[in-house]
Amino acid sequence: MTFESSPGQPPQAPAPLSPQEFKATAEGILTNVEWVIEGKSHTIKLALAVMLAEGHLLLEDVPGVGKTQLAKALARSVDCSVRRIQFTPDLLPSDVTGVSIFDPEKRDFVFKPGAIFGNLILGDEINRASPKTQSALLECMEERQVTVDGNTYKLRSPFMVIATQNPVEMEGTYPLPEAQRDRFAARLAIGYPDINAELALLDRREEYNPLDALRPVADAEMIVRMIAAARAVHLAPELKRYVVDLVAATRTNAQVRLGASPRATLQLLRCTQVLAAMDGRDFALPDDVQQLAVPVLAHRLIPTTETTMGGGDTKAIVSDILRHVPVVSHPGRF
Amino acid sequence: MNGQRHATMVAAATLALTLTPLIGVFEGLGWTVPVLLTITVIATTGSLLRAAGRGQGLQTLAMCAGLLVVLTAGFGDGTALLFVIPTPDTFVHFAFLAGEGTSAIVREAPPVTPDGGILFLTLFGIGLVAILHDMFVVGLRTPALAGLTLLTMYLVPVSVAPDATAWFWFILPAVSYLWLLADDNLRRVSAFGHRFTGAGQLVSQRFPSPMARTARWSAAGFILVTLMALTVVPTNTSGFIDRVAEDFRGGTDAGLGDVNPWANLSGALNRPEAVDVLRVTTDDPNPRYLKMHVLDELTSDGFGPDDYEGGASLDDLDGGGGTDVYTATIENLALEAPVVPVYGNPSSGFDIDGDWSLDEDTGVVVGDGSDMSEVDSYSFSYDDPVYDAATLADAGGMDPDDERWEENTRHPDVPELTAIVDDALGGASTVHEKVLAVLDYLSVSNGFRYTLETADAGNDEAILDFLETKEGYCQQYAAAMAWMLREADVPARVVVGLSQGSRDGEDWVLTSHDYHAWVEVYYEGPGWVTYDPTPSAGVPGSVSFPWATEPQPEDEPTTEPGASTAPSGSPSDGPATAEGAPSEGADQPTDGLTAQAADGGSDGGSGFNPAWLLLLVLVVVPFIPAVWRGLLRRRRLDPARLTAKTAWDEVLDLALDYGVGLSDSLTPRQAAGVLGQAAPGARDAANALGSAMARHRYSPHGADTAGLADAVRDLHSELDKNAETRRRYQAMLWPASLLLKLTARRAEETSRLARRSARATDRVRAAVRRPRRSNSRRDRSVTGRP
Repeated sequence: MTFESSPGQPPQAPAPLSPQEFKATAEGILTNVEWVIEGKSHTIKLALAVMLAEGHLLLEDVPGVGKTQLAKALARSVDCSVRRIQFTPDLLPSDVTGVSIFDPEKRDFVFKPGAIFGNLILGDEINRASPKTQSALLECMEERQVTVDGNTYKLRSPFMVIATQNPVEMEGTYPLPEAQRDRFAARLAIGYPDINAELALLDRREEYNPLDALRPVADAEMIVRMIAAARAVHLAPELKRYVVDLVAATRTNAQVRLGASPRATLQLLRCTQVLAAMDGRDFALPDDVQQLAVPVLAHRLIPTTETTMGGGDTKAIVSDILRHVPVVSHPGRF
Repeated sequence: MNGQRHATMVAAATLALTLTPLIGVFEGLGWTVPVLLTITVIATTGSLLRAAGRGQGLQTLAMCAGLLVVLTAGFGDGTALLFVIPTPDTFVHFAFLAGEGTSAIVREAPPVTPDGGILFLTLFGIGLVAILHDMFVVGLRTPALAGLTLLTMYLVPVSVAPDATAWFWFILPAVSYLWLLADDNLRRVSAFGHRFTGAGQLVSQRFPSPMARTARWSAAGFILVTLMALTVVPTNTSGFIDRVAEDFRGGTDAGLGDVNPWANLSGALNRPEAVDVLRVTTDDPNPRYLKMHVLDELTSDGFGPDDYEGGASLDDLDGGGGTDVYTATIENLALEAPVVPVYGNPSSGFDIDGDWSLDEDTGVVVGDGSDMSEVDSYSFSYDDPVYDAATLADAGGMDPDDERWEENTRHPDVPELTAIVDDALGGASTVHEKVLAVLDYLSVSNGFRYTLETADAGNDEAILDFLETKEGYCQQYAAAMAWMLREADVPARVVVGLSQGSRDGEDWVLTSHDYHAWVEVYYEGPGWVTYDPTPSAGVPGSVSFPWATEPQPEDEPTTEPGASTAPSGSPSDGPATAEGAPSEGADQPTDGLTAQAADGGSDGGSGFNPAWLLLLVLVVVPFIPAVWRGLLRRRRLDPARLTAKTAWDEVLDLALDYGVGLSDSLTPRQAAGVLGQAAPGARDAANALGSAMARHRYSPHGADTAGLADAVRDLHSELDKNAETRRRYQAMLWPASLLLKLTARRAEETSRLARRSARATDRVRAAVRRPRRSNSRRDRSVTGRP
């Protein structure tokens, strides 16, 4: 049995990307995706931001609003490998990670990579899989590696999981535990298109599916360079303080049983950097943070029973926190 | 009545109540009608314009026009069209009236007749204040500021006529101010539709709430405490408590020109402008003092008058046996008193209107129901004997069996004083020796100083204070001398009247500054002989008496600040401005011209009245916040230190001033967006400022400051243009940002204090906490449990 493992070499240092180049490329991808999903530019922008922040995305919405379309369009716009896993209760962890099978010719076990070995993984209806399978996926998401039979295999870069789940249909599902929801950088809802967008959608889809005609506007290498460029965006001490204040406020809020984790803080900051870069800036603003706070923080909070009973939801709580936390904290006050 | 009309009415009523102290300034109540009319016209005009939905600017203009109409109707004097429309001639006439009023204010002392220039000026001033008051209370809804206008109105009578303004006049203005505040707060609270009781129930507006009762009680308590504090706290010693006490004694109720028949052993002199009281024509080359009251009742406070008996006819007057008989004709200019001022020993030929009789005991000519206010002029003959010092030295004292002995030597028993007198008299045995010894004791060479105010040395008896501090004016000198003589068994009494006055051509003019107090001592034979222990330097128009050589002052008293400043007054001396030299000249009794008295003019003429300074300060005070705010803005936008941060600070303050709500949780760009909505014309400027601030704070490269100052100015003018009138004035005169800074600073201090005390409490608690035996989980985890 060979002990095969990927050497884990550091990626080649990419050439620095100027903010303008970053912005142009990002806009190219966005325009491309918007061609498929009409009237949802903000959601698409946030989805791309999560991707460039090396986070994973949870799309939670009712069926048929374009969750899978969004994931596919995003994947196609970037020239990289896309895998799709349709989660079902009988899906096994090895279907996700891959499995070692005996090759009679070589008289040895050979590793057959699973669906996870791609750049973009589309996990459809993730809450239908058994917890066993879910946790196998989540290890990959966090560690960016797969361990099968004692061998560790590095996953590709860029690597992003776009999982979808249906919030309405709960029959026969295994809702994601809090710990696993925390792995997703952001949760987005797409929502129904408005009247005009829906009309435009009908017109465009009369002849063909625009998804089929989609051409990639960036390749994996470009994405890696963009990720690196986004990490270089300047974060002022005041801004870091603001983010920390926001996250801390979720922990002290009376309506919340469990607040956001430090991982949330990190991911919020990284998404903020990307959003700033997509705007052509080399420094982040609190405005960026505010755009991201609900998608990044809301799904991690566990509201108190009273809040749930009262019909409150965590998005409202985060919005409320945004309205009350000062952008610049006053050292004189406590 | 709707809110606006109600507030207008309250504003007018409070102003009217605040004007009540003017009663002390004017004669009669005739002035109230035009004053109330003015206030009513202004309030009605303002209210109508408001009801018509006009802005503050138009309201103010209309109220000014209303004032003009009232003034034209009242003082147009035929120059106006249709009585109310002013013509250029009207304004010329107004200017003339104003000049006349100003000179009348300088010339006359209260109470004055409310007519002509004075009434014009009064109405004009009250009208302006009424407009301001209405603006503060109703237009700008800042009743706290209206306190300034009320204060201005209250201070006018108080500063013009402090004596005529009794302490209780403070109550009405204070009540009216509290009313104003209460009414506004009620209006504010009622705006929510309901009021709360203390028990937390909602009640309708008219329901008598227990909280309102508490508020009324605390307001009453506040006024009471203020009055008591004013009574106790020795502010500007013009003796609030003394005045209160005097009012109760009825001391100052004497009419104008009458003298307060008291010789206090302590007190202070404070008297406004001099008023001409009498004009004397006499063939006496050097008239002495005009006697009015004789005070022979001695208490520990000082000398007071006995009840005059009158009874004896003026025809019984027979003079004092002097050789030179003079005739005096006295013209009454302003005197109101129940006694007739007379020189020396009047003899027959007393020519005066009304019923007057002689109190034989004291020689005072007292009215039987008549008053000097009814007398325009009177004349009489008199002699004023010049005694020979040698004669007096030989003369004996009063026989102790004399029936007058008792009342003229009675005195309180003060052992300390007895010791002082024994010491001062030494071996003096005759009356004259005793008199000279006392005069010597009270002289300048013994350290006595003329001042307008006595000091308190903490003794029980006021006379001991005077003898110890050696500071006082004529009342103390005269009372002390008479008392010391009585102590030495010499009959003596205090006389109050007028000094020589000043020469005016052939006549002598006596002003209210010439009131004086001196002493009469009884010698067997000559009878009552006059002495004046007060240093001549302190008394204009003082006369020296050759039979009692007053020791000359060795050090020139004109250097004493107490004696050389401030007009003095009741019931004695005039201002003591550098009058030492003429008074020295008065030693030669033959030279009548030397005793030059200074009338109030020499003081008033120097042209500076502290009341004007006070008014100026009151006018300037409301603009202090505006100036402060302007300086702050200028400093922030100063090109030398302009950064995006300072510009943004200014933007935030502007937003506060103009009531644009910017939450702490807004980012600079969002805040700029909100400002852009509030001032659409300056949207670009606001965005530029917001972006600059964002760059300054979050970008590693910082922000460019070019054009920021102009952007701030654009934003300012645009905000100003879009604001309501009320808000605009408020932003200028009373900027909310300044207020917030002040309160924030205070809140910070409070919280710091609170934290410190909380820490201290924790520490103390931790120190005294005993280890607790408990079965809480923490303990379990340590000890474990089977």
